Amino acid sequence: MWQFIRNPNFLALGMGALFGFLMSRAGATTYDFHVKMFMFEDMQLMKVIVTAVVVAMLGVYLLKRFNVRSITTKTPVDFVKKPYQQGLILGAMLFGIGWGMTAACPGTIPAMMAEGKIGALFTFLGLILGTLAYGILKTYLLHAKETRSG
Amino acid sequence: MEISVWNGYLAGFAIGLFVILHFWLLGKPAGCSTGYGNLCGLAFPKVKFFRIGEYSNLNNSKLWFLIGIPLGGLISALTSVESWHLSFDMGLYEQVLPQTYSAKAIWLIFGGMLLGFGARLAGACTTGHALVGGAMLNPASLIAGAVFFTSALITTHLLFGL
Repeated sequence: MWQFIRNPNFLALGMGALFGFLMSRAGATTYDFHVKMFMFEDMQLMKVIVTAVVVAMLGVYLLKRFNVRSITTKTPVDFVKKPYQQGLILGAMLFGIGWGMTAACPGTIPAMMAEGKIGALFTFLGLILGTLAYGILKTYLLHAKETRSG
Repeated sequence: MEISVWNGYLAGFAIGLFVILHFWLLGKPAGCSTGYGNLCGLAFPKVKFFRIGEYSNLNNSKLWFLIGIPLGGLISALTSVESWHLSFDMGLYEQVLPQTYSAKAIWLIFGGMLLGFGARLAGACTTGHALVGGAMLNPASLIAGAVFFTSALITTHLLFGL
C-alpha cells in the first residue's frame, strides 16, 4: 500500500488534482478575473500570484537550507532551473497574446473543462495543436542537422 | 458556471504551500505545459521530438499531473454554490468576441495554439516560469514571466479598450 502511494505517477495525479482545485478556488479558471486584473479593476489574481511566489520562495530557501530529501527520489530536492533558450522572448510574447485572447493558461484549461466550460475544450484543442506544431518544427530541424553533419 | 472563490491572499498562500509540497514529494519543480508534449507523443508517435530527451519516457509524472488537474477542477465545481452545468458563456469576453459559436471556437483554438507553441518556445508556462521559476529567482523565468504578463496586458487592453 505504502509503496503504491509513493509511486511518483500516483503522487503526481494527486498533486495535479490539488493544483486544479486551488487554481479554481483562486479564481484563475474564471475568465473575468483575468480581464479585471489586466484592466486594473480587481487585483484578485495579482494577490494570488504574488503571495504564492513569496511563500514558495521562503519554502525553497528552507528546503535548500536543511538539504531536505525528496519522498520519492530519496535524494536532495533538485531545484533544476529552466535555461534561457533561444526564442524565449518571442515565445513568451506569443504566449501572452494567447493568454489575453483566452483568459487561460496550460495549467487552468484542464480544470476549466471539468468545470463545464465549453470554451476550454477549444482552447485545449489549440494547445495540443500548438505543442504539436512546435514538435514537428523541431523534428524537421533535427533532420536537417543530421543530414548536414551526416 | 460561477465558481466559489477564496480570498486572494489565502488562495495564494495555499498555492505557495502546494509548490513546496511538490518539491518535497516529487523532488523537482512543478510544471504544466511540458505534459502537453506527453499527450502529443502518445497521440502522434511518429513525431520524433516527442520520443527523445525529456519525452523519452512518456508515462511519467508530468503526464499524470496533467491528468489530475481536471479532477481538482471538478471537485471545486461540485462544491461551489452554483450547481454544475455546461456553459459557453465567457463573461466579459461576450462583449468583444465574435457572436457565432463557430467563430468563438476558432478564436479560442487560435488563442490556444499561441499558448501551446509559445510555452514550448519559451520553455515553460505561467506555472513553470512565473510561479515556480519566480520562487527559485531563475533569471530566465523572471524575464519570461514579465513578458507573459506585459504581452497579455497589452492584448487585453487592445480587446477591451484603452
